[in-house]
Amino acid sequence: MSEEEKQESFLKRLGRSTKDFLYGMAGHDMTRFALKTRGSMEHLFILITMGDLLGIPILPPYYSLRLLPYVVPQISTWKRRMLRERDLTDALA
Amino acid sequence: MSLAQVFKEHPNRRYIEFGGKGGLGKTTFSAATAYWLAKGGYKVLVFSVDPQASLSDIFERDIFGQGAVEIMPNLFAQEIDADRHIKDYQDEIRQKIIDMYGFDEIPEEIENYIQAAAAEPAMEESAIFDAVVDIVVGGEYDYYIYDLVPLGHALYYLSMASVYDEWIGKITSLREEMQEYAQVAALLERDKESEEDQILAELQDIKQRINTSSSILTDREKTAFFFVVTPEEMIILDTLKAAKLFAKYQVPISGYIVNRVIPPELADQEIPEYLQHRIEMQKTYLAQIDETFGEEVLTQVPEFERDITGLEMIGKVADALFGGEA
Repeated sequence: MSEEEKQESFLKRLGRSTKDFLYGMAGHDMTRFALKTRGSMEHLFILITMGDLLGIPILPPYYSLRLLPYVVPQISTWKRRMLRERDLTDALA
Repeated sequence: MSLAQVFKEHPNRRYIEFGGKGGLGKTTFSAATAYWLAKGGYKVLVFSVDPQASLSDIFERDIFGQGAVEIMPNLFAQEIDADRHIKDYQDEIRQKIIDMYGFDEIPEEIENYIQAAAAEPAMEESAIFDAVVDIVVGGEYDYYIYDLVPLGHALYYLSMASVYDEWIGKITSLREEMQEYAQVAALLERDKESEEDQILAELQDIKQRINTSSSILTDREKTAFFFVVTPEEMIILDTLKAAKLFAKYQVPISGYIVNRVIPPELADQEIPEYLQHRIEMQKTYLAQIDETFGEEVLTQVPEFERDITGLEMIGKVADALFGGEA
């Protein structure tokens, strides 16, 4: 590797690290927040459409069935979250 | 104005509905109108959503759950089998889950839900509603004749569209908001593109179907709704009430048809007192109908000497209904 190439790759690495550093400082939390909100809403959405799975009658079930295939993977985490006991530490999460 | 004239003057009204209390002749008039239009060269579908549908009886053929069956050239009839529709729909959902995730079989919890959903009281109505949407948006026929269920029930169907519309509208906006959050996260993480939300796409599809069908069925330009009445006090009162309720759902009422009128010529013949009284009574109520509904009364159809079943009798009713004009 020539001296020039070495320098270029060093600069590239430095640039990437700076970008990651800045993302970690400023962006990461925002991303986490956005994803967390998205996750909560996902569970709210499943509750509204598939509430029957928890014994909450939700009308009308006909079109809920059409959405069922898309939420199959989320159902177990959703049920766990909806039915778990809550305590003070939840407020810190 | 006669019924035939109404059809001629509004050639864009391609969705025809007959409503009224049970047993007044909705199915008979649906079949007769279909017959008249088919003879006139139009491709017509007459369909019923009533689980106790009588199209099979009137056409003297078992058509229940068999899709659109050709009765005579240009005339098709269909009786929707809600149970079958639900079963097919459930199978479709199961297959989709299996295809999407490569399962060998549906997880127990999911299977239980699919089965429980089918037992919901509203499921049958919803399935019927969806089947009607399929028929109405299909657009294969020149005319669609909707043999409605009796009054109270018909209102329920009509209101279903608005209930669904509201429900779908709400969850669609929630889903859209979720999509925004996902996009923000994707943007911050510099992902090139966020995944397309399939649920949102599905919701928008459902919403569009419901809107299309409900807009057709309440559009004065495209739809005609006729009330069937008979010259009897209770029927007149009930019809008045129903007309008010229907107006609330923007059902475009296009006129009233009086059925079961005893031919007044009979009065000049030697007839028993019993029949004379009936004719007198009908006369009073016919006057009342004229007074109440005025010019909206399109035609009177006589009481026939026998049951209306089979194409020959249907043809006779069609003549009475449309005055023999083709």
